Amino acid sequence: MILPERIRPKHRDAIIQSLRAGVVPRTGQQHIQVGRAAEVSAIVRDLERVADGGSTIRFVIGEYGSGKTFFLHLVRSIALEKHLVAAHADLTPERRIHATGGQARALYAELMRNLATRARPDGGALQSVVERFVTSALTEAKTRTVSAEVVIRERLDALSELVGGYDFAEVIAAYWRGHDHGDEVLKAAAVRWLRGEYSTKTEARHALGVRTIVDDSNAYDQLKLLARFTRLAGFSGLLVCLDELVNLYKLANTQARNANYEQILRILNDTLQGTAVGLGFMLGGTPDFLLDTRRGLYSYQALQSRLAENTFATGTLVDHSGPVLRLANLSPEDLFVLLKNIRHVYAAGDTAAYLLPDEGIHAFREHCAKRIGEAYFRTPRNTIKAFVNLLAVLEQNPGVSWPALLGSVDVKVESNPDLAPLPEESVEGTHLPDPQLSAPDGKLGQDDDLTTFKL
Amino acid sequence: MRRWIWEQKWTELRDVQERTIHAILDGVGDIVIAATTASGKTEAAFLPICSLLVETASPGIQALYISPLKALINDQFRRLDQLCEHLEIPVHRWHGDVDAGKKQKILREPRGILLITPESLEALFVLRGPEVRRLLGGARFVVVDELHAFMGVERGRQVQSLLHRLELAVRHRIRRIGLSATIGDMNLAAEFLRPGAGSAVETIVSTEGDQELRLQVRGYERPIAEPVGKRRHDALATDAPEAPEEPDSEDDLSIADHLFKVLRGTHNLVFANARTQVEHFADLLRRRCEALGVPNEFWPHHGNLSRELRQDVEAMLKERERPVTAVCTSTLELGIDIGNVSSIAQLGPPPSVTSLRQRLGRSGRRGDPAVLRVYIREDTITPESAPQDLLRLQLVESLAIVELLLRHWYEPPTVGRLHLSTLVQQVLSLIAQHGGVRAIEAWEALCKTGPFAEVSSAMFTELLRSLGTYDLLTQSGDGTLLLGVKGERMVNRYDFYAAFSSAEEYRLLASGKPLGTLPISQPILEGMTLVFAGRRWRVVAFDERQRVIEVIASKAGRVPYFGGGGGDVHDEVRREMLRILTGEGTPAYLDDVAQRFLAEGRANFRRLGLANRHHLRLGTTSYLFPWRGDRATNTTAVHLRALDFDAGAEDGVVVVSDAAEDALAVSLKRLAEAGPVDTVGLAEAVLNKVGEKYDEFLTERLLCEEYARRELDPVGAWEAISEIAAEAKRTSA
Repeated sequence: MILPERIRPKHRDAIIQSLRAGVVPRTGQQHIQVGRAAEVSAIVRDLERVADGGSTIRFVIGEYGSGKTFFLHLVRSIALEKHLVAAHADLTPERRIHATGGQARALYAELMRNLATRARPDGGALQSVVERFVTSALTEAKTRTVSAEVVIRERLDALSELVGGYDFAEVIAAYWRGHDHGDEVLKAAAVRWLRGEYSTKTEARHALGVRTIVDDSNAYDQLKLLARFTRLAGFSGLLVCLDELVNLYKLANTQARNANYEQILRILNDTLQGTAVGLGFMLGGTPDFLLDTRRGLYSYQALQSRLAENTFATGTLVDHSGPVLRLANLSPEDLFVLLKNIRHVYAAGDTAAYLLPDEGIHAFREHCAKRIGEAYFRTPRNTIKAFVNLLAVLEQNPGVSWPALLGSVDVKVESNPDLAPLPEESVEGTHLPDPQLSAPDGKLGQDDDLTTFKL
Repeated sequence: MRRWIWEQKWTELRDVQERTIHAILDGVGDIVIAATTASGKTEAAFLPICSLLVETASPGIQALYISPLKALINDQFRRLDQLCEHLEIPVHRWHGDVDAGKKQKILREPRGILLITPESLEALFVLRGPEVRRLLGGARFVVVDELHAFMGVERGRQVQSLLHRLELAVRHRIRRIGLSATIGDMNLAAEFLRPGAGSAVETIVSTEGDQELRLQVRGYERPIAEPVGKRRHDALATDAPEAPEEPDSEDDLSIADHLFKVLRGTHNLVFANARTQVEHFADLLRRRCEALGVPNEFWPHHGNLSRELRQDVEAMLKERERPVTAVCTSTLELGIDIGNVSSIAQLGPPPSVTSLRQRLGRSGRRGDPAVLRVYIREDTITPESAPQDLLRLQLVESLAIVELLLRHWYEPPTVGRLHLSTLVQQVLSLIAQHGGVRAIEAWEALCKTGPFAEVSSAMFTELLRSLGTYDLLTQSGDGTLLLGVKGERMVNRYDFYAAFSSAEEYRLLASGKPLGTLPISQPILEGMTLVFAGRRWRVVAFDERQRVIEVIASKAGRVPYFGGGGGDVHDEVRREMLRILTGEGTPAYLDDVAQRFLAEGRANFRRLGLANRHHLRLGTTSYLFPWRGDRATNTTAVHLRALDFDAGAEDGVVVVSDAAEDALAVSLKRLAEAGPVDTVGLAEAVLNKVGEKYDEFLTERLLCEEYARRELDPVGAWEAISEIAAEAKRTSA
């Protein structure tokens, strides 16, 4: 693979910092992206449809560590390039698509916090979207020599017919009034409402004169309104990326899980039938989440028939036009290229500044595979983290040779930090140190049968 | 704070209060405080806690109070609320009877002190796992009330696990303050409070006196209805309705008359050891009300009654609108809120000292004396009487338990128990809390660093696999364990949060006809004999899930009337019995008949020469007297059965029927030479190993392991066998 271009230091630092923290970088994904050309072009077509006022939904399905999150971020940055507004959020037990205890509103609020435009790729762009709506209305008013109020009302009329549209329009109008009168408090209240941060109706009525607030029951309707609104503000539409849908699969309450699947069905129907305008959904989940007929999406009959994969696309044949987009796990070769790309980014694109030769990368891979076994392929995140750390040490200690360092590289299998023993316990107790690390020759310790436990 | 103390009209702090306050204010570690109920230990704990909370206020719930009883929580709530009103620390209660609105309010604004039951805390983890840190992240103290009631039982292990999971969830240690009754070995309480580090727990024991106890043990002689064996047998052969208990024998009528006389007009609890007894006495007492033309005050309460009926009785006891006496099994011992009663009556020997103490705890409000009456029935002695009858073991056992109670001895929790049933619950709960966990994480959290320290990773693996086969667990592609279809259904049910199930009784069927029910604590083996309603029965089949034992009539012959303590009699109780039989002196709390029983028992003990030996041969039957707890006695019987002897354990005596004396002596000698054996293998032959709520989901091997550690005592059995074998050698020499 050719890696010609130099990388701007700002991008380089952002990418490296993200990778070290174990998160997907928000920008510059193209520098480290490997493979997936067909998938990307399928998504580009989707996004163009959204920009044309259409809608789309994609289930990005892949095993843990197959790069779903990375892929979603790549899609997001492409969407921003195409003048879409993009919002993303991870589902957690506290953030769900459907809920009655405030978790759906929490998801909505998280999406709004992460709302990004090309000018503000790091999120927090909600107010600027509204601001742009107002300024474009003012410009139009000037050219048509009518009052701005008239233009704004005209534009908002399109929203009023939708569910919840009247109050949405009222809130935007309130923002405009605040803008007009220099009332920052009113403007802030309107933005707060749009972000879903009001928790009681009384409060909202008091501040804005509207009778509703964004809550669990109307969060999705609110997204549909927002999609139309972004187009009114001059953007092409709205892309909503929801990651970690496996959290719905993990819900222990059957009713709660089914309610979420029902909501996904509603979204699916809306987007496939074209009732949503300028709205795209990208949902990231594992095969379990999709295929498990007892608790996955397939457990919901109506979804199973809609999402069933093309029976002709078997073996090497692919069909990237269905709602389900399968991401294969990264192959060892892909991983090798990925590490090379990271080395390239780390050197800011300067091949002369590489800190590690190719055989160093090979040795590193072998070392990781020995340490954490299969998990090395399944969750590249920790491998990458360790690799970036290794590069950092090599960079700051020019005298050190890489083979000497390699032995001390420590790669851990990911685990739930909330279940880790409390620090003082491991100190005062007689517990052995972590068996994975203390065992000689990188062999796993006595609890091996539990680390790799299969029912 | 001072104002509150002044309002309480406390002129001075008691010794235990003062020491507690200093320990909490000046120390940083865990503390166990042991004192009697009315000694104000709860206040002593909360005064300094509140003052610390006021000094450094922070958001979130700052102190938890865990109590086994809702009534205690309500009571505590009233008192704490008064104290905290001035300090502006909100006090909340959270249990099954608290309405949802109040709970919502706590969830919105978690502040102050939360009073909660273990079950509600479990529900909080299951239903609001991700919120636990927000709600309880600021917790600095956990006060566990009635610590002694939690020790050694499923619920106690659940509390330990919850405390540990709480600390994991909030990522810091929380000071634990345990409030307990005075018990013999305080180290046990300390170790219970902080498993693995009990030595670091400070213990404060009150030096002050006890609550006053008024006590009487009454004896009743049970006449021999002739011919018992014959009549029973005929009744079974024909289609006569099953009535295994003699319905209205003389002693029962006298007991009922006495109960009626002393209990009518007040609130009381009458504990019987089996459900048939409950029904029988409730019926006798009701008839007495009817005969007098007064409203019925006596109601049965046991696990076989429908939920509604039980709740009615509980409600009547709680409301106190009119006098109510509940005749009950251990169902009302603990865990159900009925408030306090005037007196306790116990029919037959109490199951254990612990249990008697808990029953007694139901009686006598603050300051009032607790009242206990024990009714003991013994068969009339005839020439055919078995040695157990001759020794008056029912009475002696009751005396031993009462004496130990008065000495503040307390059965220590069985050490080394696995509590796999509770572990099953905790694994499911952990999965619900985190929306899935990995096997290694679960093991490390619950076993390696948690309270299930005895469970090895290999056993844990087997347990998970077993849960998988029952569809309680399933696994996602990345190895995360999730709830299976059945597991989900189980966790979503309201009764998931309790770690214990009410004690089950077995139904006895003879050729398809029901004989009655009885609680069984002894191991059941195929072909062994059981004593029920004055007859011996041979076990032919056993159905664990249906809780049915099929029996056929064994050889006729007089057997002791088995009152059925139903509990697990401890070594110390049997040693105390031996001390009573060898001793002199008569306790003042015995009535005339009971005094006569004691005198007869002691006389027969000497006559049979049992002061110097541990075995006896009468006709073709050998009687072995280990004078050890039920676990050692049962294990001895299981050993002999494994060698094809017709052996059974009855009232702490191993009865070996139709065995050649020499063969028995040889076998005992071999067993003694072999030393203590691996009891897990022995447990395989035991049919009724399922004892606790989730035992049914364990593999046979795990169940044997659990059963052996819970019910068998290899060392005690070996010591007993060695003693008897040595005697046999002496006599033959």
